[in-house]
Parts: sequence; C-alpha cells; structure tokens
Amino acid sequence: MISRFRQFFQQLYARWLGHRLPPARQVQLNTRSLFIFPSKAGFSFVLLVVLCWLVATNYENNLVFGITCLLTAIFVVAILHSFANLSGLNISCSRVSSGHAGHPLTIELVLHQSGKRLRENLIFAFDGHEPVAIDIAATEEARVKLGFVPASRGLIDPGRLCVESLYPLGLFRVWTQIDLNIRCLVYPSPQTALNRRTTASPMDGGEGLIVQILEGGEDFIGLSDYRPGDSPKRIAWKQFAREQGLYTKHYGSAQDERLWLDWDAFPGLDTEARLSRLCGLLLSIVPLDIPYGLKLPGLTIAPNTTDSHRLQVLRELALFGLPDRGGEW
Amino acid sequence: MTSPVWKIHRNGLFWLLVAFAAVIVLHADHLPSWILLAALVATIWRIQLYRSAWRPPSRLIKTGLLGLCLAGLVVEYGSPVGLEPMVALLVSAYLLKLLEMHHRRDAYLVVFLAFFITALDALFDQSIGNTLYIIGCLLLVLAALLGLHGSDADDGQLRPFGKAMAIMVQALPLMLLLFILMPRLGALWSVPMQQQSAKTGVTDTMSPGDFSRLGRSGELAFRVSFEGAIPAQQNLYWRGLVLAEFDGRTWSRSPLSRFQDSSLVQWYGDPPKSWDQRIERKGEPLTFSVVIEPTQQRWLYALDTPKPDSEGVGLTRDYRLISAYPLRSKKQYRVNSWPEHRLEAQGLSSQHRAVYLQLPEEFNPRTRELASRWRKTVSDDRELVSRVLTLYNSEFVYTLQPPQLGTHSVDEFLFDSQRGFCEHFAGSFVFFMRAAGIPARVVAGYQGGERHPDDYLVVRQYDAHAWAEIWLEGRGWVRVDPTAVVAPQRIEQDLQSVLGSETDFLADSPVSLVRFRHIGWLNQLRLQIESLNYNWALWVLGYDQIQTAFLRNLLGDNSPWRIALALTGVGGGLLLLLGFWVLLPRRRERSRDLLDREFLRLCQKLEKAGFPRQVGEGPRDYARRVAESRPELARDLVEVTRMYETMRYAGETPDAQTLARTIRTLRVNRSG
Repeated sequence: MISRFRQFFQQLYARWLGHRLPPARQVQLNTRSLFIFPSKAGFSFVLLVVLCWLVATNYENNLVFGITCLLTAIFVVAILHSFANLSGLNISCSRVSSGHAGHPLTIELVLHQSGKRLRENLIFAFDGHEPVAIDIAATEEARVKLGFVPASRGLIDPGRLCVESLYPLGLFRVWTQIDLNIRCLVYPSPQTALNRRTTASPMDGGEGLIVQILEGGEDFIGLSDYRPGDSPKRIAWKQFAREQGLYTKHYGSAQDERLWLDWDAFPGLDTEARLSRLCGLLLSIVPLDIPYGLKLPGLTIAPNTTDSHRLQVLRELALFGLPDRGGEW
Repeated sequence: MTSPVWKIHRNGLFWLLVAFAAVIVLHADHLPSWILLAALVATIWRIQLYRSAWRPPSRLIKTGLLGLCLAGLVVEYGSPVGLEPMVALLVSAYLLKLLEMHHRRDAYLVVFLAFFITALDALFDQSIGNTLYIIGCLLLVLAALLGLHGSDADDGQLRPFGKAMAIMVQALPLMLLLFILMPRLGALWSVPMQQQSAKTGVTDTMSPGDFSRLGRSGELAFRVSFEGAIPAQQNLYWRGLVLAEFDGRTWSRSPLSRFQDSSLVQWYGDPPKSWDQRIERKGEPLTFSVVIEPTQQRWLYALDTPKPDSEGVGLTRDYRLISAYPLRSKKQYRVNSWPEHRLEAQGLSSQHRAVYLQLPEEFNPRTRELASRWRKTVSDDRELVSRVLTLYNSEFVYTLQPPQLGTHSVDEFLFDSQRGFCEHFAGSFVFFMRAAGIPARVVAGYQGGERHPDDYLVVRQYDAHAWAEIWLEGRGWVRVDPTAVVAPQRIEQDLQSVLGSETDFLADSPVSLVRFRHIGWLNQLRLQIESLNYNWALWVLGYDQIQTAFLRNLLGDNSPWRIALALTGVGGGLLLLLGFWVLLPRRRERSRDLLDREFLRLCQKLEKAGFPRQVGEGPRDYARRVAESRPELARDLVEVTRMYETMRYAGETPDAQTLARTIRTLRVNRSG
C-alpha cells in the first residue's frame, strides 16, 4: 500500500518535473531550475540555534543572545551562498561515447558560466550512478565526464542528470534534475558466440559461403571472456595489462575469407540473445581483418572491413527492431 | 576529480583542528588541566590518523576514554549540576568525537559542538576582549564547517577562512537587526549557576574580616548614572542588605529579610502593600540607573529610600531593592530615591522590636555591662549615640589589617585592640545599641564611588562598607556610620585616601590600573577603558533592560506588529541587497579589459603612423597589413599580436604589464 502511494507520488513528481524542466540541449541553472532545501545538517543547525537561544534566554545573557542572532544570520546568508554556487551555470552535453549494454560509457558535459566565479564541490550524477564531484576554477568553461551504464541496447536516454551542491556550509542542499536530451547509442551486450563447440553460421539458402571457424587452428580469431579452466597460455595478457579485463584468446582457421553475421545462425534464441551473439561475433571478427557482412530480417549489409562499415553494422544491431530509430543518428 | 565518498581531507582537517585549539584555549581558564592534556593527545592522535600513522581507537579504547573522562569529571566536580561540569562534559565529548569521524555527520557534530561550546564561554566572561576572542573562534569554527565542503586543492588552504570571513561580515547587519528587534523572554526555567560563586562581593553575612577582604579588590561592583547631578560623596550610601541577626560572631539576615513571604516584597507595578504607608517620602526624588555586575545573588543596591522603576525589581519590607532572579549577568535597573524620608516614624511593631533588639546572651559581657551602665545615666537616645561615637573618635584606628579577634569579638575590639575596619565599627555599634535597648541593625552595601569624567559613578569592591541604622522614637530609622567618626576621609573621599598606603589595599588586584591613579596619562587611559566598558555594559550586555524604551524611540511603538514589520522590512531589504551582491555573476576580471586597453593603445599608435584599423579587421590581419607596408616592423608586430591573441583567447594567463611594455618599446615612425 505504502509503496503504491510512493509510486504514485513519484509519478506525480516526475510529471511535474517534466513540466517544469522540459528536456533541453542546454540548461541554465537559475531560480526556475534549482531547488534548495535545508539538509539534515541544516536542520541540526537550527536545533543548535534553538539550544543557544535557550541558554541565552535562561541565563538572560545578551552576549549569548547576540551569538544566537549571528548564527541565525549566518544560516540565512548561507541560503544565498549555497544558491550562488550553482546558479548561473550552463550545462550541456558535449560528447557521448557509444558502448555496449551493461558496460559503462562516458558522457561528457560542458559547464559554461558567463563570469568568473569559483564554484566548489559540484556533484554530478545520473540516477543510480556513481556521483562525480568537481570544482570549477574561475574559468568560463569546464568539462566533466560522467559514467553511465546502460541496461539495454538501443538509443538510450540516461535519464535526468542530478546536479547537487552542499557548499559552502552544508546547511542547504541545492540541486536540480535536468534532462539534457541525451541519447546514447548502445550496442547489444556482446556475448561470445564462441562456445566450446565451434560456432558457425551455416547458410541455409545455399547462396553465399559457409564459414566454419574451427577451434585449434593457427589463426587468431578473437577474444572471449575468460572462464575458469581456460588455459593460461591463452590468456590475452596484453589486454589484461591494459586493464581491459581478462580475456581468452581463440585461435582457429578460417576457411573462407568472407563472413556473414547471420540472424538465422542462432535458431531457437530470442531477438536479444541473437543480437548479443552477433555482436560478440562481430567483436571477435574485427581484429581478423576479414570482410564481414550482416544479415538481419529485412536488411542485408554487404561484407566489408572498413571502420564505418563496422559502425554501421553495430548501429543496425543496436537499433534492430526498435520503433525509435533516432533519425539524427 | 575527487570521489564524493566522504573522507575528511587535508584542508578540512586543518581548519577543524585550528578551531578545536582555539575553542579549548577559550575555555582553558575554567577547565581542569587534565582535559587540556587530553585535548593535546586527541589533536596529535587525529593528525596521526590523517597520516595513517596511527590506528583509530578501538571500541574498547573509546569506551575506556569515555569512562576515564566521566570519572575525571566526577572526581573534579562531584556533582554534575553546574555550569563548569556541563562545559567540561561537552568539551570531553568534543575531543572524543574528534577521534571518531567516519562520516560527514560525525564531522558536523564536532563542528556544531564547537559552536555551542564557544557560545557557552559568553556565560563566563562578557568583557569586550573576550567577546572579540569569541567572535574569532566562531570565525574559525565557520571556516572548519566550510572546509568540510570546500575543495582539497593545494591553493585552497586559506580559502575556507576567506569565505567564512565574507559570510560572517555579510551576516553582521542581519545579526544586528535580530539583536535589536528580537524580544527577550526572560528565564524560562532555573538553570545551573557557575560554581565559582566565591566571587568577590558583599555577602549576606558579616563576620570580622569580611569587608577588609573586599578592600583588597579593585573589581567593579556597579556603575550608576544619575539623571541630574551626582549627590555629594558623603551621601552616597548604597544600601544592599540588612543584617539583623547576631550569633556572637556573625551578623546575618533575619527571617524577615529573606523574601520568603510575598507580602514582604512590593514588586514594581504591584498595588502598594499596607506597609507602604509607613514610608514618608518628602521632597524631590533622585533618579538614577544602576548597571550591576553579576553577583549570582538577588539583592540590589540603591540610595535611601528607594522605589523601583524597572520591571522585575521589588522593594522589601526593610526598604531595600531585590531582583526577581539571581543576577546571572549584568543587570540594569532604574530607581527613584527620596533622600528626605522618614521610615516607621509612627512606631515599631513589637515583633520588629524583638528582631532588632535580639542579642545572644552568652557573648561580650563587658560591652553589655558598659551599655547598661551608660543607659542608666543617659536617658536620651541621641545623647547615648553621640557618647558612643565620641568613644570611637577618641581611641580607635581605622585599618585594613585589624588583629584577629577571639570569642567575645565586640569586647575585644572595644576594650583591647581598638583597631578595625568598617564591619568592626558597625557590628560593635549595633551590639552596643541593642545592649542599651535601642533597636538597631547592620546595613551592608557600598559607600561612595569614583566619579567618571563622563558623568557617571563607578563603584568598586573596595567601596564595600557596613554601617548601622538605629530606630529612634518619633523619628524612625536613622543611619549612623561610626566609621565616619573614626576616618571621615573614608566617607568624604574614598578608601584610597585613607588606606592607599597600606599594603593590603588592592592586594588582590596587583595590576589594576586603579593603583596608578596618580600617573596622569595612565589614569586617562584607565578612564577611557572604563568608559568603553560602561557603554558596552549599557548598550550590549544590558540591552534587554533598555530594549523596550529603545524600540519605542526607534519605531514609535513597540507592539509585536511593528517589530515584525521592521524585521521583515529591513531584513528583507538587507537580504535583497545581499542577494544582488552574492548572486550576480562576477564581472570578467579586469586583467582582460586591461589587455584590450593595451591593444587599443597599439592601434592608436599605428593609426597615428597612418595605418588606421579597418572596421571588422582582426588583430592578425591588421598586423599583416601594416607589416606589408612597413616590413621593418613586421617581426615586432607579429610578436605583439601573437602575445595579445594567446593571452586574450587561448587561455594563457593574462599579463597586461608585459604586453604594455612590449607595445611601449615599439617605435613607429610616421611613414613617408
């Protein structure tokens, strides 16, 4: 019951927020977009003031009364300073890296101000993600890189960006939740198609070429996630040294120089599983520098090896079957 | 980029420790020494924690430390009730918490404790100097709070202090407004007092030696400003206490004089009690305001015969003034006094007569014997009084260092030592009168005071005095001061004029400036400091007493509506101004404008040489164009333009001076 209520109010809040702060490429933080409220420490400070007032009153001590007034005045002045720390900042998104579902990608924001104010300890985060704190020195422009882990493929909206500041006294939390209209192109989560048994992409129409990738050949054909039991000789130490993770190298022999990433190669699997495997296959093929093509229902991309070809294939995998194909991408 | 996961950083810790040290030093004079030592250990431990050199105290050690502190406090103070134990407890909590900061909220607790402990110091010392120190401490604690939220940049070490200063200065106008307008409620419940109430001052008992001890102190007792001229020195008898009960050695208050019975006190604003008719007030009253130092007691001082003119002040049955609450801080009150008066001239009730004739049987037989002998020969009371005074006048010596007296103190004083201070004279005189059947009582208070050039009176502890009052048939209570007979200068001038050469005078105030009254410039300085302190006491420390009148003058009316209106009006205005100041974007730094100015100077130079800059021509194109016709300038022009462009647009640190120097050295001769 309570969770239902909470859900209801969260929806109400989201709707109100969408109305008040509609998506925009660039948002200026001002009285419209910023919210301010005493933090927990702020309420404790009020308690402190009340305590001082009680001492002043009961001891009839004007000096303590004066200190109480000073603390009260500091509390009030802190509102302005807290607000000033965020107010007047323009935020826009400058670059979004592409990535795979379930893997972090980077969103770079540009912070721009029309003056030279020193802003300290601004905290940026996408909902549910690790916050990043930065100071903006007295320059007009600063950049901040935020991590974002998309849950699924497609043109993903990372949600509202939360910008928050407790500076200078921590008595007030100033925050905003803005929608910068960011769309991240998220490729399917790569799942290795190279299981213990050799995976192939048999063709059923007879046209095209049957490719068999056989384990145990001479040629390097790709990487897969390390699994316990894989031979240490096969561990991709180079990648590991670059801190890219632990992978196992796979060797095989390609019998044909052209390769099709074929939707129909994985009968019995659902759409996402197929796309994940195609994507994994793609990633393991790319280092081989052999031409590869893509076959999806209603779409065929001729084999090629260029970078733009790769991106196009990835893009098709990312957006396959989704209604919103994001014309601008 | 730093991780937002909280860990106190160097800049934060630095200010936290600076504030900690300042707060501990602030309270050092009333904290037990072991707490100071513990604070030092806590500081070192905290620094070592930051450096990861030491481990944080384990739960066992923390519990142990807490227990140790509590045990120390119990040993030190015994009872937990009282101001000092409370502060000591808070300070122990403060220093233990310093070792236990795992979350930001722990750090908040440390900072808020620091604020509170700092504020409490104002209960101990309200002098101007201490107030300035308290403000300094608040500033440091504020910087510590700022440090918790600021950056950890190396150049940011001093930044929290600067920002704290800015916030404090901006808060001051609002603080003043609140201080002036916020109503004071008066004590809501009774609170523990300072335990060190063994402060100097007149107490409610009088034994031989009590007043001579006060003669050793130059501390301030109270200040008085008269509306009109200050009366003559010998009329300034500041009546405080009536001591009617004698146990053979000590004079103390009679039950009648302990204000337990509300019918015996007539508070300001109350309808007159029945005994009010027993006071005959004649002539014009003197009106004066007294600002009294905190005594932790309820009695107040006034000239005879007073009538209170301030809230919370009452007149007692024995015609003294008392306060509704013990004086925890300085208090100001206004009094009307009628120097011409008759008290109880109609007669004394038998109950009162018994109180004022009470004497313990077993003491001072020689005095009693002499009194009854004289009583037989002299029937007139007045004549008896003058005969006793003559006795004093003939043989007795007024001194701050009287010899010790034994069981029959009055006998020994009157017949043997004959050396004494005011309490000896007053006590023995009242004893003699009672023995002779005349109702009499000892009155304790102050006599005289120093006239400040700013036209007010400063009464110090060494002005403490005791005298007698006797009741005469048909005349009522009459003041008799036996000291005046022995040492008339004491009454006409002051104690210093009589006993200034005695080593005991001001012995407890060795550096008191009063001591150096005879040195002109030093005396001037002393009087100026005194005046500053007086105004401080009057306008700041005693503001609650004058607030009503002050607001009435300021606002025309002190109704809650007016106050609320003034508060929101002026406060809102102040905040609006401040808002503009704080929120408006900072202008571009001047250095950039300076660069432009230098570049324009170059343009002017070139224009004079016949190369005006064209509309919309960028610096680089302009330089190139000029260089084409004046190749000898090409190198310098390119250099200057490059310098200007990199400083102006490429984010290089602007250095207008270097640019100016380079442009100045550029020699451009008129072409052709």
